[in-house]
Amino acid sequence: MRLTLALLCGLVILALGGCGTIPRDPDGTLERVRSEQSLRVGASDGADRLEVHVAGDGGAEVSGTEADLVSGFAEELGAQIEWTVGGETELVHAMERGELDVIIGGLHSDSPWADAVSLTRPYAESTDPEGSTVQHVLAVPLGENGFLVTLERYLDREAE
Amino acid sequence: MNPDHDEWSGGEPMTRVSPTGEGLLGHTSLPAEQRELLRRARRLEIVSLVYLLSCVVVVYLVMGSSQAMKVAWIEDLLSLIPPAAFLFAVHRARRGRSVAHPYGHHRAVAAAHLTAALALLAMGLFLIYDSGSGLIAAEHPPIGSMQIAGQTIWAGWLMIAAMVYTGVGPVILGRMKMPLAEGLHDKVLYADADMNKADWMTAGAAVLGILGIGLGLWWADGAAALVISASILKDGVSQVRGAFADLLDTEARTFDDSEVHPVIDEILAATRTAPWITHAGCRVRDEGHVFHAEVFTVPVGPSVTVDQLETLRSAILALDWKLDDVVITVVAELPEGIRTSPRGMQREQ
Repeated sequence: MRLTLALLCGLVILALGGCGTIPRDPDGTLERVRSEQSLRVGASDGADRLEVHVAGDGGAEVSGTEADLVSGFAEELGAQIEWTVGGETELVHAMERGELDVIIGGLHSDSPWADAVSLTRPYAESTDPEGSTVQHVLAVPLGENGFLVTLERYLDREAE
Repeated sequence: MNPDHDEWSGGEPMTRVSPTGEGLLGHTSLPAEQRELLRRARRLEIVSLVYLLSCVVVVYLVMGSSQAMKVAWIEDLLSLIPPAAFLFAVHRARRGRSVAHPYGHHRAVAAAHLTAALALLAMGLFLIYDSGSGLIAAEHPPIGSMQIAGQTIWAGWLMIAAMVYTGVGPVILGRMKMPLAEGLHDKVLYADADMNKADWMTAGAAVLGILGIGLGLWWADGAAALVISASILKDGVSQVRGAFADLLDTEARTFDDSEVHPVIDEILAATRTAPWITHAGCRVRDEGHVFHAEVFTVPVGPSVTVDQLETLRSAILALDWKLDDVVITVVAELPEGIRTSPRGMQREQ
């Protein structure tokens, strides 16, 4: 009992001391992006809300709403985007292996990938052809909460 | 009013005849003190239910994907059972005796107790599995932000606030319920109060888990969830044991099961003051709130009068309000396996 209380007090003090840095990433994604100045973004081809143009030399150019969003985010972090283009499944697996920081791919808030990656809060809503509302989200590595909250703060500012 | 009930009590002048209604437990009319305790206990359990429901809603709104929060939420949900069981049992036990229910409905308490205990046990096992497997699979719990009034704040802070809210109430409620459980001899109320008193540790563990995640320790959440699950399981095991013992008609014990109930010694002492008895023994079981006592007597002479038996019966009935159903029988030899001598302690009356 007394030990739990002491532990609790200790953690609260620790937490308050580092208020600005809570939450932190277990795997240090945010720190890595900042120190290496590189944001590794996976873009799912064939998704709406972004367009992928494959250039002749095998390189790719990504444009569209989500590409613009993530470019602004990279700029804010002082990082260059390193694009990876692939199918949604492929990108999620790459993210699970720690090879990607963000996935853009017209993901919806009810995405079945929610167990494998962290989905952001919806940054926009739209109506699909069947007339139901869909909420658009981006994905970051699972449990990288510092990075997730930083991205969500950025998305909130962009939405204003 | 039940006609069978009237018939039963009408034939015996020594029985405390009572209509069913407020402040009564079936056949037993409660002394003024117990009546007041019962009223307060029911009010307190209704307050508990309302408060716990608010906790369930608040925690559900903020729990996100934290395992510790999920487990704490389920615990809040489970802690609705004992107050509900208490209210159900008190309501049910108020019905009188009848031909179909010759012992009254007091056992509703035991049935409610066992139900609540099994729910705890099953949930404890499930949650240990659920939290443990998440920990083994090294799942990193995602906790993002929430937007409140234009401010983006980390959802973990809201979770901690919710846990502080759910942690404070039960400690106060538990301390208020404990003396009522003793006065009413109600084991469901005791179990509820006992669990409430330890509830702040659940909330504390969940807060530690969330803070741990905030500091980048992904395992803190699962570890906290495991600690809470273990405490649910521990409660479940001890409650199932207690409920089981009651159903097996063990000798009546005090409200917290700490010792054999002292009223048993008083019954035996009362039989010793009767000059017509050489040996006596008794067995007393806990029906839930009230006791059912069977007193075996071996008389000195060849015959016993109705007066002698009735005098002894009324002396025993006067010992404690819980002694409502007392049967005295005359035998040539005491049966085996019953208590025949008081433990030497005489409770002040």
